[in-house]
Amino acid sequence: MAARGRWPWLRPAASAPPRPSLRPLAAPGPGAVVSAQGERARAPDMAAAAAAAKGNGGGGARAGAGAGAGAAAGEAGGARKKKGPGPLATAYLVIYNVVMTAGWLVIAVGLVRAYLAKGSYHSLYYSIEKPLKFFQTGALLEILHCAVGIVPSSVVLTSFQVMSRVFLIWAVTHSVKEVQSEDSVLLFVIAWTITEIIRYSFYTFSLLNHLPYLIKWARYTLFIVLYPMGVSGELLTIYAALPFVRQAGLYSISLPNKYNFSFDYYAFLILIMISYIPIFPQLYFHMIHQRRKVLSHTEEHKKFE
Amino acid sequence: MDLNMSMVAREASQGLGPGPSLGLNGLPRIAPAKATKKPKKAVLFFEVEILDAKTREKLCFLDKVEPHATIAEIKNLFTKTHPQWYPARQSLRLDPKGKSLKDEDILQKLPVGTTATLYFRDLGAQISWVTVFLTEYAGPLFIYLLFYFRVPFIYGHKYDFTSSRHSVVHLACICHSFHYVKRLLETLFVHRFSHGTMPLRNIFKNCTYYWGFAAWMAYYINHPLYTPPTYGAQQVKLALAIFVICQLGNFSIHMALRDLRPAGSKTRKIPYPTKNPFTWLFLLVSCPNYTYEVGSWIGFAIMTQCLPVALFSLVGFTQMTIWAKGKHRSYLKEFRDYPPLRMPIIPFLL
Repeated sequence: MAARGRWPWLRPAASAPPRPSLRPLAAPGPGAVVSAQGERARAPDMAAAAAAAKGNGGGGARAGAGAGAGAAAGEAGGARKKKGPGPLATAYLVIYNVVMTAGWLVIAVGLVRAYLAKGSYHSLYYSIEKPLKFFQTGALLEILHCAVGIVPSSVVLTSFQVMSRVFLIWAVTHSVKEVQSEDSVLLFVIAWTITEIIRYSFYTFSLLNHLPYLIKWARYTLFIVLYPMGVSGELLTIYAALPFVRQAGLYSISLPNKYNFSFDYYAFLILIMISYIPIFPQLYFHMIHQRRKVLSHTEEHKKFE
Repeated sequence: MDLNMSMVAREASQGLGPGPSLGLNGLPRIAPAKATKKPKKAVLFFEVEILDAKTREKLCFLDKVEPHATIAEIKNLFTKTHPQWYPARQSLRLDPKGKSLKDEDILQKLPVGTTATLYFRDLGAQISWVTVFLTEYAGPLFIYLLFYFRVPFIYGHKYDFTSSRHSVVHLACICHSFHYVKRLLETLFVHRFSHGTMPLRNIFKNCTYYWGFAAWMAYYINHPLYTPPTYGAQQVKLALAIFVICQLGNFSIHMALRDLRPAGSKTRKIPYPTKNPFTWLFLLVSCPNYTYEVGSWIGFAIMTQCLPVALFSLVGFTQMTIWAKGKHRSYLKEFRDYPPLRMPIIPFLL
């Protein structure tokens, strides 16, 4: 083994390249910052790997060094050495998460007040339409946070999650006025509201290194009910929108036309609904798995205190 | 081979066993046997132990490995004991989390002692590049023709086996088919691949991409309600010129790259312009083959004035840019005197 002395740089630990972590950063150590998970986590790494692969155009995964690196960059390194955002970025993120928590609280309060005023739970959408659109669309900033690197999550994952929400708000609920009075809308709005309030307060407290166990517990437990609830609301809403899309030919273009292109929004919506079938179970069971890891990990810590 | 056999082998080599080619238990040893009739030269043999990179389990022990044995030879020896892991699937490395060793690396030149420890990682089922290329290119060639000839169940029944009345549709079919025939021939006769294989799942991914887009484009171009280009014959002529120039350019670059590398070798050199004017793009760009490829598809998009073709070009451009940047970066790392004027894919810009 004497020969090894000539190559002191060949040391086991040092030569390990940063590996993309397979767990989506749920381990909430004190420095553990915002990860785009939680009940709302739409794409665990298995689906993310698929999404990432699709996102890179699938045009031959030849030793395309750039292709893999792009998707994995956001998930750099396991729990070993997390740099975390600088103080300015942390301050900004705290403000962002506080504002989002407040925004979703406004929506929650708005729902309760409207219910009390109207006496029924039908058509409550109209009373919270504006803040809902504003704050859900504002979540697009989270994609930017990942792209810039102040949040250690994958850009592809986060885009997928946020875009699916934004799609439902604008391309379905806003665009097809007739579904706005449906009860299914209330179903997903409530699910999202509770989820987001907990998620953003979770991030806020994490950034300030003061995470109450209750919030952590809530984040990793309530999804069990809220996630299926939200998915049901979304699917029912899309389903309700279908006949109106067909009737009005909404967002559809047919041949012949100058650019030799056609798009059937009705068929597209059906494809979206079908895509829930493979995606939802993956995400759901991934969250269950995360829950076991995170909550048992904390219990062990408590034992030693 | 396990530890016991190796102990036996060592004892045998000291003359205590039945002979140099048999272990103590009479079974043939898996090691290159040296003729022992010659006077003993002080040849230092290596021992190689191969551990699983994840479990650190001892998978194989090779003794009496020649010092100038290559990693490729060691992989072949390893396959003898674990036939399910053919050499293309093996990744051997000095460090469980380090980089894979190359097949050409020589044992004695590695930073190891006389007992080398190599870590093994299974790369998964592999498929050869040539197979993948041929499959992914044959698909579009065939699929486009299905739409061109309007086989039943694609368009309405009254259109079955009819022919478009627009000349540009026929021209587009010729161009598209020519492009993929060219690719198939290049795969068979021109390209020299650095790697022999890629993971098996890639073939599904790649074929979905190529075949899917080919079907999507072909559907519109050969549709009975197809609308020919707005600026008519002028637009088509210009587009055809762009297409042909870029096809010739792309082919020239492939030939130039092939000539850089002798058959069967994996040498890497900086590509330079040759007498062929199409290769002069090397002055400005690291990967002119990708530049010409994008150009071809832009030409095809203008020719057909079809949005799906433009989208296909865009997606292809994105992917090729990623590859070109990677290639450019590795050129810069490998060659100190790399021409500074060159950009990865678009002159001066990208």
